[in-house]
Amino acid sequence: MKEAAIPDALEGESFAVEAREGWLSWVASVDHKQVGIMYLLGAFFFFIVGGILALLMRVQLAVPDNRFVTPEIYNQLFTMHGTTMVFLVLVPLLIGFSTYLVPLMIGARDMAFPRLNALSFWVQIFGGVMLYFSFATGGVNGGAPAAGWFSYAPLSEKAFSFSRGVDYWALGLLAIGVGTLGAAINIVATAICLRAPGMTIRRLPLFVWMTLVNAWLIVLVMPILNAALVMLLIDRQLNAYFFRPAMGGSALLWQHVFWAFGHPEVYIMILPAFGIISEVVPVFSGKPIYGYEFVAASTVAIAFLSLAVWAHHMFAVGLGHTFDMFFAVCSMAIAVPTGVKIFNWTATMYQGRLRFTTSMMFALGFLLMFTIGGLSGVAFAVVPVDWQMTDSYFVVAHIHYVLFGGTVFALFSGVYYWFPKISGRMLSEYLGKWHFWLTMVGFNLTFMIQHVLGMLGMPRRVFTYPALPGWEAMNLLSTVGAFLLAFSVLIFMINLAISLRTGEAAGDNPWDAWTLEWATTSPPAAENFPLGVPPVHGRRPLWDLAHPDRTDEMLMKLAG
Amino acid sequence: MPDKNKLGVGLFILSEANFFLILLVAYVYFHLQPGQGPSAANSLHPLRMLAFSLCLFLSSATVYLAGRSFKRGRGNVWLWLALTVVLGALFLFGQSREYVGLFAHGVTVSSNLFGTTFFTLTGFHGLHVLVGLCALATLLGVALTGRLGCIKPAGFEAISMYWHFVDAVWVVIFAVVYLWPLIARMTA
Amino acid sequence: MPGPYSANAFTLAPASPQAAAISRLFVGTLIFLGVVLALVTLLVLYAIIRYRDRPGAPEPRQNFGSRRLETIWTVVPILLLIVLTAFMAYAMHTGDPAAAVDDPDLRIVAHQWWWEIYYPKSGVIAANEIHIPVGHSLSVELRSADVIHDFWVPQLARKIDIVPGHPNYLRLQADHPGTYLGACAEFCGTEHAWMRFQVIAQPPDKFAEWLRAQKAAPAAPTSPEAIQGAQIFADRTCANCHRVSHTVASASIGPDLTHVAGRRMLAAGALENTPANLGAWLHDPDEFKPGSHMPNLQLSKNDLNALVAYLETLK
Repeated sequence: MKEAAIPDALEGESFAVEAREGWLSWVASVDHKQVGIMYLLGAFFFFIVGGILALLMRVQLAVPDNRFVTPEIYNQLFTMHGTTMVFLVLVPLLIGFSTYLVPLMIGARDMAFPRLNALSFWVQIFGGVMLYFSFATGGVNGGAPAAGWFSYAPLSEKAFSFSRGVDYWALGLLAIGVGTLGAAINIVATAICLRAPGMTIRRLPLFVWMTLVNAWLIVLVMPILNAALVMLLIDRQLNAYFFRPAMGGSALLWQHVFWAFGHPEVYIMILPAFGIISEVVPVFSGKPIYGYEFVAASTVAIAFLSLAVWAHHMFAVGLGHTFDMFFAVCSMAIAVPTGVKIFNWTATMYQGRLRFTTSMMFALGFLLMFTIGGLSGVAFAVVPVDWQMTDSYFVVAHIHYVLFGGTVFALFSGVYYWFPKISGRMLSEYLGKWHFWLTMVGFNLTFMIQHVLGMLGMPRRVFTYPALPGWEAMNLLSTVGAFLLAFSVLIFMINLAISLRTGEAAGDNPWDAWTLEWATTSPPAAENFPLGVPPVHGRRPLWDLAHPDRTDEMLMKLAG
Repeated sequence: MPDKNKLGVGLFILSEANFFLILLVAYVYFHLQPGQGPSAANSLHPLRMLAFSLCLFLSSATVYLAGRSFKRGRGNVWLWLALTVVLGALFLFGQSREYVGLFAHGVTVSSNLFGTTFFTLTGFHGLHVLVGLCALATLLGVALTGRLGCIKPAGFEAISMYWHFVDAVWVVIFAVVYLWPLIARMTA
Repeated sequence: MPGPYSANAFTLAPASPQAAAISRLFVGTLIFLGVVLALVTLLVLYAIIRYRDRPGAPEPRQNFGSRRLETIWTVVPILLLIVLTAFMAYAMHTGDPAAAVDDPDLRIVAHQWWWEIYYPKSGVIAANEIHIPVGHSLSVELRSADVIHDFWVPQLARKIDIVPGHPNYLRLQADHPGTYLGACAEFCGTEHAWMRFQVIAQPPDKFAEWLRAQKAAPAAPTSPEAIQGAQIFADRTCANCHRVSHTVASASIGPDLTHVAGRRMLAAGALENTPANLGAWLHDPDEFKPGSHMPNLQLSKNDLNALVAYLETLK
C-alpha cells in the first residue's frame, strides 16, 4: 500500500489519502499532475473519436452523390465532430496542460482547489459520455444531435429536431461547461494566489499569463452558453417560446446569445496555444521572448476584443450595414494584437541559435499555418467577402487552419516539449520528424483545397454534392489528405507508446529551458519541489541561476 | 495576495451574474413590445411582491450581522442565521404565491412569451435562493450544535457573499419585471 | 444523377454589378493577404536558414524587444486595415444595394427543402427555378416557411439568410443570359444538400414569353393515359400539397406543379428532369432525397406511368 500524502501546506488542511498503486489511485486522485494527465488522455481519446467521425464524413464526400451514409447519419456526424472537437478535445487539452503546468511554473505544490480540480475533470467526462450516449439511443426518437455544433433555432426546436439528440447535446454541454468553469476558477485562483515569492505578475511565464487571461474569459462567457442551453431545453421540454418565431419567439436571439459565447470560445481555444508557442520558441532559439510586455498586453487586448465581435458570424443574416460595419471594424481590430504576436515570435528567432527539435518544428508549422488561418479570418472580417464565403467550404478551411494548424500544432509542440517532464522520458525525435512532416502534408492536402471549393460555390454541411467541374477531384484530394492526417496521428501514438517504455531518460532539464518546471525532477515528485523552489528574480529563474553574471535584470538594464 | 477562497467564490458569482444577465436580456428583448395576453403589466402583484422582497433584502442585513458575530466569536450567530433563513423562506413563500396565482390564471412557461421569460428568469433566481437557503440552514445547524469552530471564516464568508449576490440579482429582476411596467404606466 | 454541369458557381466569375463589386473587393483582399502571407513566410524561412544551430554559430543574443519595432508593426497593420475598411464600406454599398420595398418583384419562400418562387405582379408561381430578365434589377423578398435557410447564387449576389420572422430583401440582377447555379447555404435539416436552385436569366423578350406561358393554364390532357393520370392526381391526394393553376389543386405545401415538365431539374436539384427520372422519383422519393416530405404513394406501375404522362403535359 502506498500512501499518497497531499501536502499539508494547503491552508492547514491535511488529508492524507491511502491509495493503492495503479488505476484506482488515479480515479481518487486530486494531484494536479494526475488530473492534468487524465485531462490529456481523455481529450486525446475524444480526438481519435472525433477524427474517425471526420474520416467517415470525408469518405462520404469523396465522390459526388455518394451513398456511404444516409443524410441523417451524415448530419449527426458533422454535428458530433464539431461538438466533440470544440468541447471535448481542444478545450480539455488546453486545460489539461494548464492544470499540469501552472502550479509547477509558479512554484506551487498544487492547484488552489485540488478537489474542485478533480471534480471538474470528472464532470466534464460525464458530460462527454452523456453526449455520446445519444448515438446509442435508437428508434424513432433516437440518434445523436444533428443540428450542427451551433444548433441554430428553430431547426433545433422540437418541431424540426424531434429526436432527443439535441436534448443530449444541451445536457452534455451543460455538464461539460460546469467542468470547464470549475477548471477556470481554479486556474485564476492558483495563478493569482499561489505564486512563489519573487514571482510577480510581470514575471509570469507567458504560458501561465495566457492561461490566466483565458481563464477569465471562460468565467465570463461559459455562463452565456449555459443560459442559451437552458432556454433551448425549456423550449423543447416545457413547450416554451424563446426561439420559436411562429409563436413570437426569436431565431435571432439564439444566434446572438450563442455567438456571444461562441466567438470568445474560439479565443479560449487559441490563447493557451499561444502560450505554448511563447514558451517553446524562445527555448529553442536560445534567447528570451521578444517583446514580453507586448505579447502579454496583446493577449489582454484580444480577450477584451473577443467579447465585441460575435456578430461577425451573422453578417449574412441581414441585420443592416451599420450593424455589420461595427462588428467588421472590431473584427479587423482583433487582427492587430494577433499580428503583434506573430511578429514577436518571429523576431525571437532572429540572432538566436535555432534547434529544430520536433517541438520547435511544430511551433514553426504553427507560425505559418496559423498565419494562413488568421489571414483568411481577416478576409471574413471584410463583410462583402463574408457575404460570399460564409457557410461555404472556405470557412471550413479557415476554421481548420486556425484550430488544427493553430491549436493542434501548438499542442503537438507542447507535447514534444513537456512529455519528458511529465513522463521522465524523451519522445523519439526520429518518429517525431515523421509525425511532423506527415502532419504538414496531410493537413495542407486536406484543407488548402477547401478554400477553392468554397470559392466555387460549395456550401458547408452538405452530405453530398452534384458533379460540378472540379468538385469531385478536389473533394477526393481532400479525402486522401484526411487519411494521410489520420496516419500521421497513428505515428504519433506509436511514438508515445514506444517512448513511454523505452524512451531515453530525460533528466530534469533536457532542453536547457528556464522556467520553474524544469527545476525539479522528471517526473516531478508528488509535492512538486521537495528541495524547495529556486529564487525568482526575473522571468527566467533558471537562466539567472546559470548566469549570475548576466541575469535578465542586468541584461535589461544594459539594454536600457 | 488575495485570499483564494474569496477569489474563487467571487469568480463563481461573476459567472452566475453573466448567466442572469443573459436571461434578463431575453426577458427585456421580448418585453420591449409586449404582445397580447398576460403580461407583467396585468398579471403580477408588485406591492405584494415588494413586501416579500423586503424580506429578502433584510436577510442580507441579518446575514451580515451573523458574519460579524461569527468573526467576534459571539454566541448569537445562530439567531442571526435563523432570521436570515426565515426571511429567505418568506421570500420563497411569496414567490410561490405569485406562481400559484399565475397558474390559476393559465399563465405558465408555455402560455405565451411573458410566461416563458418570467418563469425562466424568476425560476432560476428562486432556485439560487433555495440553494443559498440550504447552505444557510446547514450553517444554522452547525451553529445550533455548537460546532461553529469547525467552520473556516472563508467558508462563512463565501456563503455570505453568495447570499448578497442572490439578493442583488433580485434587486435588478424586481426592478425590471415589476417596476418597469409600473413606471411605464405612470409615464404613459 | 444530377449533372453534368458545364459551369460552376464561381464567386470570382460575377455576372451582375453587385457580384462584380464583391468580386473585385475579394480579389483585392486576397492579393493583400497573399502579400502579408508571403512576407511572414519569408521572414520565418530566413530565420530558419540564417539562424539555425550549426558548428561555429554565434551565441544567441539575449535581447528583449524594441519599442520602435512594436510600434511599427502595430501601426502599419492598423493603417492598412483602415484602407481595407474604406474599400469595404464602398463595396458594401455597391454590393448590396437597398432592396426593401413594399411591392417586390419576386417573393421567395424557402421551405424544407425546396424554393417557392412567386411573382406578385403577375401572379405566377414557380418552384426551384427562377427566371429573370437580363439587365433589370429586381427586388426580391425572402421569407421562410419553417427554419433558417440561405439564398446563395454566387455569380449574381451576396448570400442572404432567410430567417423565419425576419423577412430579408435582396436586389437580383444578371448582366447576360445564362443559367446561374444557386444553393441553400444555411444548414436547414436532412436534405439541406439537395436544396439547390437555378437562376435563368433570359433576354427581356424571351422572359416575357416565359412569363406569359407560366400564367397560361396548362393544356388539358388529351391522351387517354394522361387523362387517367389527371384523375390519379386528383384521387391520390396530390392536390393536398401541390398546386396546378386553373384546377382545384391549390396547396403550397409542396412545389407548384403547373409547369413542372418545363423545368430542368426535379426535387430542387436532386434529379435531372426527364420522364424516366420523374417516374423514378414518384416510385420512391426516398431513393433520391431521403427525409424529404414527399410521401411514397405506393403507386402501381400502370398508375405511375399514367401520372407521369399527365405531369409531362404540364409544360
